[in-house]
Amino acid sequence: MTKYLASNDTWEIGGKRLNSRLLMGSALYPSPANMEDAIKISGSQIVTVSLRRQAAGEGGGNQFWDIIKSFGIEVLPNTAGSHSAKEAITTAQMAREVFGTNWVKLEVIGDQYNLQPDPFETVKAAEVLIKEGFEVFPYTTDDLVVAKRLADVGCKIIMPWGSMIGSGKGLMNPDNLIAIRKQFPDLQLVVDAGIGKPSHATQAMELGYDGVLLNSAIALAQDPVKMADAFRVAVEAGRLGYEAGTMKEREFASPSTPTIGTPFWHQFN
Amino acid sequence: MIEIIVNGKRTSLSAELNIKDAIKELNYTKVGFAVALNGTFVAIATYENTLVRDNDSIEILSPVQGG
Repeated sequence: MTKYLASNDTWEIGGKRLNSRLLMGSALYPSPANMEDAIKISGSQIVTVSLRRQAAGEGGGNQFWDIIKSFGIEVLPNTAGSHSAKEAITTAQMAREVFGTNWVKLEVIGDQYNLQPDPFETVKAAEVLIKEGFEVFPYTTDDLVVAKRLADVGCKIIMPWGSMIGSGKGLMNPDNLIAIRKQFPDLQLVVDAGIGKPSHATQAMELGYDGVLLNSAIALAQDPVKMADAFRVAVEAGRLGYEAGTMKEREFASPSTPTIGTPFWHQFN
Repeated sequence: MIEIIVNGKRTSLSAELNIKDAIKELNYTKVGFAVALNGTFVAIATYENTLVRDNDSIEILSPVQGG
């Protein structure tokens, strides 16, 4: 028997077999060096990136992109900032050319206050992108019917939120996440957004989710590198816990120490 | 001279140019960007066949950090 079962764990997503089930964002770090150290220590093999307007007259290469490329891991471009299917589709097409991958984290925002995804536009964009050969990682709410619609148009991966992006509130509706897991045992499910603490990631993994995607929880920690390590362990712990099978909850207390031979015990009546 | 919008800002080009020449005139020299014209993606392979006209809108995007 191996000492560490977690080291044997692999999973497949988007046609790639990976060891790490932690997907990380690359934004909000105190410095590029800090981001680099955090990503490395996390063991993450998928890092999200984005596209933004470029200023004229900036010659040469792109330092950020050069760092990410040097890791030799998978990049997952997002369509953050899109408010319609058309904007998301165009952004995905641009990202495919720049980043050289057909993977896309599909984000179509429907409300600027809570950054809740627009389910109608997300499904519409997913359908088009899948037909164009993209591997779509759709960011969605924990709504089961939206998940069904995304599966109907061919999504093999679904990424329901834990809670609002950047809120750190954890899993708002674990029962909804469980329902999606039960409905889609064969799809790759990743909890994306709202994770604030390592224990939130563990909880998502214990529910049987295949992975977690997070950014702020690590980047905004007082020590992002240490927090990245904490999340690495938390995700592994949750996965192992899920595979091991948790005990059934009970309504009442049940002693774990044997009752036979209890000292100072007296039988009354 | 034509008026166009580049990354949300109004500017001008000396004439109707294809994307390749327009990018050069606009001084976008950094490598590794992608272009959309009037909200539609333009692949590198079609830069020379795609004309920028008066009042067109161009987006020029490059890699940044993302969540």
